[in-house]
Amino acid sequence: MPKDKFFKVIENKVHPGEKLVPTHCSYCGMQCGMNLRVDTSSNTIIGVEPRYDWPVTLGKMCPKGVTAYQQTNHPDRILKPLIRDNPALKGTKEGFREASWDEAYDLIARRFKELQAEYGKDSLSVFSGVSMTNEKCYLTGKFARVALQTRYIDYNGRFCMSSAAAGFLRTFGVDRGSTLPWTDLHETDCLFIAGSNTAECHPTSMFRVWEVQSRGGYLIVADPRETPLARRADVHLDLRPGTDLALANCMVNLLIQGGYADENFIREHTGGFEEMAEVVKEFTPEYTSEITGVAPEKLIRAAEIYGKAPEAVVMFARGIEQQHKGADNVSAYTNMPLVTGKIGRPKSGVATFTGQGNGQGGREHGQKSDLLPGYRKITNPKHVEEVCKVWGITPEEMPQPGVSAYEMFELMEQKTIRGLYLLCSNPAVSAPNLNYVRKVMKELDFMVCSDMYLSESAEFADVILPSVTWSEDEGTVTNLEGRIIKINKAQEPLGESKPDWQIAVELAERLGRGQYFSHLKTARDVADEFRLATKGGYADYYGATWDKIEKQDGVFWPCKNEKDPGTPHMFLDKKFYHPDGKAKLCALPYRPPAEEPDETYPLRLTTGRVVYHYLSGNQTRRIPFLMDMCPEPYVEVHPETAAKYDIEHEEKVRLRTRRGECIYKVKITEAIRKDTVFVPYHFGHEGSVNLLTIPALDPMSRMPEFKVCAAEIDKLGAERPDGQAGRAGSGKTEKEAVHQ
Amino acid sequence: MKQLLYIEMDNCIGCRSCLAACTQCGGHDERNRNYVYDVNPLVNRQTIPLMCLHCVNPACARSCPAQAIQVTEEGAVLSALVEKCIGCQNCTIACPYGIPKFDEEQNLMYKCDLCYDRTKEGIPPMCASVCPTNTLQWITEEEFAAKQEKHRLGKWMSSRLPENPLEGETHVKINLPGILQGTEKLF
Repeated sequence: MPKDKFFKVIENKVHPGEKLVPTHCSYCGMQCGMNLRVDTSSNTIIGVEPRYDWPVTLGKMCPKGVTAYQQTNHPDRILKPLIRDNPALKGTKEGFREASWDEAYDLIARRFKELQAEYGKDSLSVFSGVSMTNEKCYLTGKFARVALQTRYIDYNGRFCMSSAAAGFLRTFGVDRGSTLPWTDLHETDCLFIAGSNTAECHPTSMFRVWEVQSRGGYLIVADPRETPLARRADVHLDLRPGTDLALANCMVNLLIQGGYADENFIREHTGGFEEMAEVVKEFTPEYTSEITGVAPEKLIRAAEIYGKAPEAVVMFARGIEQQHKGADNVSAYTNMPLVTGKIGRPKSGVATFTGQGNGQGGREHGQKSDLLPGYRKITNPKHVEEVCKVWGITPEEMPQPGVSAYEMFELMEQKTIRGLYLLCSNPAVSAPNLNYVRKVMKELDFMVCSDMYLSESAEFADVILPSVTWSEDEGTVTNLEGRIIKINKAQEPLGESKPDWQIAVELAERLGRGQYFSHLKTARDVADEFRLATKGGYADYYGATWDKIEKQDGVFWPCKNEKDPGTPHMFLDKKFYHPDGKAKLCALPYRPPAEEPDETYPLRLTTGRVVYHYLSGNQTRRIPFLMDMCPEPYVEVHPETAAKYDIEHEEKVRLRTRRGECIYKVKITEAIRKDTVFVPYHFGHEGSVNLLTIPALDPMSRMPEFKVCAAEIDKLGAERPDGQAGRAGSGKTEKEAVHQ
Repeated sequence: MKQLLYIEMDNCIGCRSCLAACTQCGGHDERNRNYVYDVNPLVNRQTIPLMCLHCVNPACARSCPAQAIQVTEEGAVLSALVEKCIGCQNCTIACPYGIPKFDEEQNLMYKCDLCYDRTKEGIPPMCASVCPTNTLQWITEEEFAAKQEKHRLGKWMSSRLPENPLEGETHVKINLPGILQGTEKLF
């Protein structure tokens, strides 16, 4: 792998009596390299040292990364299986007793068999996550289809990455989150970053982002909030939440009008230009400004900078993806590099920031309801046949496609699904419309949860299986570049905890399906079968052996065989993955958010992250340093809006939507739009902002619209119009003119 | 090769990785000895890190009646020596940057020691090692000279010359906010 300008040879500090185990962070898709400090006498993880030799992040870590090691020997770890005999206590922390693995397995196997005998194979479901290794993700998909023989498996990537996946698949015919390695980023001339609070969500990208500017390059940021990234941008497109599609269409229109289109590239390598150009024509800066609230001159300037840049990268994240038109947003922004030909070469392209540790790999290997390993479709008989050969089942035995994550909860309510095996996910915090989700989880006939801590979701379980942290297992993950990297084991599993792959194998044996699983004795066995199962798929990992990953500092997929070094840059040959070899320029008419502000709910609520917490906070809310830095959720309000509501900094207010209400401390800041409020989503129980979010799903990716819904603020302690507690009694006409 | 800590204020995103990293340094008892401040929290998200600047002629050491604050030959101004510190807190008052802190329980001053156990071996301090934004950089004198050149020395550097107000010459160098100093836009 090439080394970049930031790389320096630095020896590591090794303290006496310790060894360093090189691995990667347990959190976001950056997968920063780190060394875990292990006390050799007790074989216990005791700290962290930077990993200066890791080419992507060079030892850099965010506060989560620095303190990640504290998860492993945390006193909250579940060390033995827990069983709860009284279902009336579901939804609380109460009633669990310790049990042996045998007792837990027996109970699970018995209840699963009972449910399937009575209600059919599809009465069970699996809900998984993508903070797991590729090996676990792969085996979870196999476990659902082969051991449980159910069609209902899906994963929390639906709340995170599926719009990027759907958008890329439609545009390129393949979904690799980044067309170029991160070590290219600082060498480009223009970064166009939409809907990403990069500084807080992927901080270790920031030294490359700032380098673009200090070289004289440009930074354009589209975000409703003035994030630390937007604060320093050359152009900040401060749009209303949920209006990205109009903005992207406007950019493409201005690029065409401004003469920045690469006609040769469009003719040779894309399809659909005329139709797309016809749709975007309508999006003049003035018209787009009406929709988005961004000044026309900013739109013009942004398009001009991107158009003139010799090399440019378009990047985006959850801000544009977590909408009920997320896949359209992705394709619309991807039209920019395709129209200008700035793709398929070093330093130019398109990239999405992956939120979860294995957001890329986890979506490629069969945890999605319609996918099989290697990005194969479960609806494609040829693909099914290829996977069946590896698994040793017949194509007739392969279950049908299921439904997406949120839709599984709807099926639980309808009693189509009666049992749930939940692993590596915390939907009781991270799913939208939580009042509903929690209610249906409580009413499940039987629920098993595998977790290392008693998460908010585990509170609904009948059985909790203690799983290991990332540092007690080994395997591969695929970072946000599409680079397959190796996670190493630093400590033996604490207590009686076990890795999820081992739990799946042992449970399959109890369910009488051992013949398909018993040969998997180690993580490496799973890896070898997994690579074989991806062979010939779009996401081909066959050549990415653990040895090669170690030798090369990671391997970019596709990597088809032993001799293939992998593919850091996608589309260098200008061949896209559609049958005609062309990328598709998508014509995408604008749609407003599913719920627009009105008289009763005049504000727009948007949600997101803070740098100190990861996803539902199940891990980070237990780390003292991180909790000191951000102990509770808050609502960001613009000073003018706050004045209209007569509320002050740090005052507690009730935030209300059609789905529910929460009480938050006010944080006044000019960094938010006047018509918008923001709440971070990392908190559980009554603090979870997902009690308020709307379950409007993207028709293509089935991603819920976390990023925008209509909301209202009530001052506490005064009468509310509907007679219930809470409304500000100031008599001010606070509802008017909060729109910008 | 002599290296120094260099702070590029503009780059700070307020992630406080430097604080978290400081707690990981040997002998710090999981307490950080550096700080990050919100510049104007009700307005925007600008933050600045504040580390010990390791003055060439440090007021903390000068004010210490017990000579408990050692200055190494590399210029690192260390935490108070346990056996010498009398807990008078002169140093906390004398420091113009508010760096030394006082531990009531141990009756002892503690402050950034520039990760002396690491830097004496040529390893960057923990804060600069992890800083994801390159706000904190551990650079060679040659690299520093190049930065001075680029940033037009005299216009932007705060801790540059002995006649500087405050505490005069420091080993840690700061670049005051000001985007794109001396950088021409590419196009």
